[in-house]
Amino acid sequence: MKARSLAAAAAALTLLVAGCGGGGNPGGDTSSAGGDKTVRLALTQDVETLLPMDSNVGDNIGVLEVVYDGLVRYDAQSTKPYNYIAEDVSSTDKTTWTIKLKPDFTFQNGEPVDAASFARAWNYAAYGPNGMANNYFFERFVGYDEMQGVTEEDDDGKITVQEEPKAKELSGLKVVDPTTLTVELTGPFVGFPTMLGYTGFFPIAQACLDDIEGCAKKPIGNGPFQIDQWEQGVRMSASKWADYKGSETPNYNKIEWTEYKGSSSWPDFQAGDLDTGAPPPSEWQSANNDPDLTSRKVVRPGAALTYIGFPLYKGAPYTNIEFRKAISMAIDRQAIIDQVLPGQEVPADSWVVPNGVPGGVAGTCADCKFDPTAAKAALAKAGGWPKGQKLKISLGQDDANEQYFQAIGNQIKLNLGIDYELDPAPDFFARRAARKFDGAFRNNWFPDYPLNENYLVGPYASGDAKNGNDTLGFYSKAFEDKLAEGDKAPDLDTAVTKYQEAEQELAKEFPTVPISFSQSVAFYSENVDNVVLDPFSGSTKLRLLNYVG
Amino acid sequence: MQGVFTLFAVMLLLHLLTTLAIQLNGNPALAFFGDRAPSKSQLEAVEKRFGLDDVCYDQIGNPCLAQFGKRLGDYATGDFGTDLRGRAVTDIVATAAPNTLRLFLVVTITWLIMGMFLGSVAARFRGKAPDHGIRLISILIDAFPVFVMLLVYKFIFTVPISGWMADTFGKDSLGALLFKPSFSRDAPWATIIVPGLLLGLTGAAPFLRLVRASQLENYNADHVRTARSKGLGERHVTLFHIVRNSSIPVVTAVGFVFAEALAGAVITEGMMNIYGMGGVLWGAVQDSQVSVVIGMVSLLSIITIVVMFAVDILYAVLDPRIRYD
Repeated sequence: MKARSLAAAAAALTLLVAGCGGGGNPGGDTSSAGGDKTVRLALTQDVETLLPMDSNVGDNIGVLEVVYDGLVRYDAQSTKPYNYIAEDVSSTDKTTWTIKLKPDFTFQNGEPVDAASFARAWNYAAYGPNGMANNYFFERFVGYDEMQGVTEEDDDGKITVQEEPKAKELSGLKVVDPTTLTVELTGPFVGFPTMLGYTGFFPIAQACLDDIEGCAKKPIGNGPFQIDQWEQGVRMSASKWADYKGSETPNYNKIEWTEYKGSSSWPDFQAGDLDTGAPPPSEWQSANNDPDLTSRKVVRPGAALTYIGFPLYKGAPYTNIEFRKAISMAIDRQAIIDQVLPGQEVPADSWVVPNGVPGGVAGTCADCKFDPTAAKAALAKAGGWPKGQKLKISLGQDDANEQYFQAIGNQIKLNLGIDYELDPAPDFFARRAARKFDGAFRNNWFPDYPLNENYLVGPYASGDAKNGNDTLGFYSKAFEDKLAEGDKAPDLDTAVTKYQEAEQELAKEFPTVPISFSQSVAFYSENVDNVVLDPFSGSTKLRLLNYVG
Repeated sequence: MQGVFTLFAVMLLLHLLTTLAIQLNGNPALAFFGDRAPSKSQLEAVEKRFGLDDVCYDQIGNPCLAQFGKRLGDYATGDFGTDLRGRAVTDIVATAAPNTLRLFLVVTITWLIMGMFLGSVAARFRGKAPDHGIRLISILIDAFPVFVMLLVYKFIFTVPISGWMADTFGKDSLGALLFKPSFSRDAPWATIIVPGLLLGLTGAAPFLRLVRASQLENYNADHVRTARSKGLGERHVTLFHIVRNSSIPVVTAVGFVFAEALAGAVITEGMMNIYGMGGVLWGAVQDSQVSVVIGMVSLLSIITIVVMFAVDILYAVLDPRIRYD
């Protein structure tokens, strides 16, 4: 009796479990039927906006890559720009640039993609009070300063507006005719065309400008896909735009993104609910030992550099180059990566990512090799470290980074005998801006556009011989001269060489210690192939991805 | 009236705490720029956009009461503000609340079934094998914190089980959905059952012991002996004289444990990728998003007050001696 009721219960459960499947038999895979080719991807952080002028994190940049077309696009291997919406981008003096557009492109709402559509996006981004994330990309444009207003900082650090911006449009940006734009820069910059493929330079439709908030949720793009629905924080879906006239469009017709916040999407990938995935550190070993999984894996160096900075504004011992070299040589980069972030980072021995952007070569940092003996010698040469004092290592609050920098600190302690104190602080950025560090601190640089120049100007150049740059207090005339020479170069290749020379100048000064470059890893499902990772952002190149079902 | 006052006090306290957090931790607007150092006018523009440009946020110890007053005024007109990037708090709540309520529903049902059923069985067979077994289970549950259970479940069990279910019964069968590694918006009920069950389990152990203890008290009570001596059947006695009478402390506990479940919800939502109140609140606190924190907590306070009210009403239903005028 009992056995019978148990069997009945089991049968009932089986029915329930099979329940709403109703014909859910093998082969009933709807996703491959009727040309409905869907690619399912994860967004690993809370995407906050889809407005091109305001999108500056990997995820919304990744989404917008298939929603918008820019003037130029980047080669998947070399990251060199080539014209896409632009017919031609040229300049005789590298200061005034003429951009010719291909005619007849339209937005998904039918509006033309013309010179005015670029100008309206750029003016909106450059206008200071709009507070756009990509505002600073227009710093090189003539008329940028007039759009920022005048602010003043008092003793409490309070910033007040003294004067509203004088202009609402960039005076250096002119719409000549529907297919011609001219841009006047404040000085020669040969890398200008390289910037134009970045998200912040995409055009927007007039309808988008009229309803910025709506457009930030449901963009009116000009690319191969349009966003159907975005349930913010949960999921997003896009489908192919039937009237797309461009040539670069993938073979699938729907993309579904699931947003993940804090949790790992790896089991979802394993369960077949996602088409690409990467294991968390705890699962790294087992994933890489699985022959089936590793047969569908791509690895590519990423572009983000983690490095250690020093408060050069604080004086000795940080201003002593031998001290900085000692720290650099005392760190066994490979060992700490294997221990804390296996497969996610690669040791750095240069300030510009090698092979990731034009001009990037390995080995410019000769003292980035692990050599404890030379490190001790360098420390002795620098006069040693004050006895009984601890080296403070400051960083923002982040579990993975704390572990990583603890391992770095342990290496310094082990190989140099300098005791350290980890200082993870929520007000890290505020303190960095206020120059309040006394010790080493974490830095991370992710370039904005693929050019070696970008690794050098932002973090090190200031033109301020007295105070040095904001975060470090670094200044080198030879370095800045080389950068200026590069900006004035007649063509991009010459410029890249000049910037390389600037990096060599930087290596002589050794202001910071490069630790590691990010490494992008993706595993992919049997539904897709031709998975190419962007050497720049590390995300999957959606336009190259091929759906095989 | 008291509820309204409590709500006001909670909001004021939260306002003061988040304001202090901003003053101490530095400007959340700086985080907007990541590793890049913004120019002063860029920072100013973003501060303004985030509503952080008031001078009081730069003075440590300033309670920023003017901001609080403004917020209350906005609430009165039905404007609950936005998060730092301009998304309306009401929109966030509308997306997050249903998922959390689903989770709470599953949790509560798990408590009631596990607690009431197993607790009653343990009391009924006091000192016998079922009693020992059930008490052992309750100790085992205590030994596994919810995050360990979820971690093991998610990384070890979901993939093989959901894969097997999908192969056997089909990709969209209930079985395959039940064991999905993450919450799915397409099947919001099916994919929340197991996480809810696991979260409910952890709360069920103390609950179960409470039920057992309060029923044991009743087994020897005078009114039960009277009922038995009247010749009532054992089933009738258990259901109407023991279970019902021992339900009052149990219902009280539901009210309290409910508030505690929110803490578990933060973990469960984070692990199972459920976009819910716990996870959103957690993120908002980390980012010093004043309006989101206060909006969410106000809403949760209201839910808690409603649950407490329901508990009060249940008292009267369960015990005819309690009457509200």
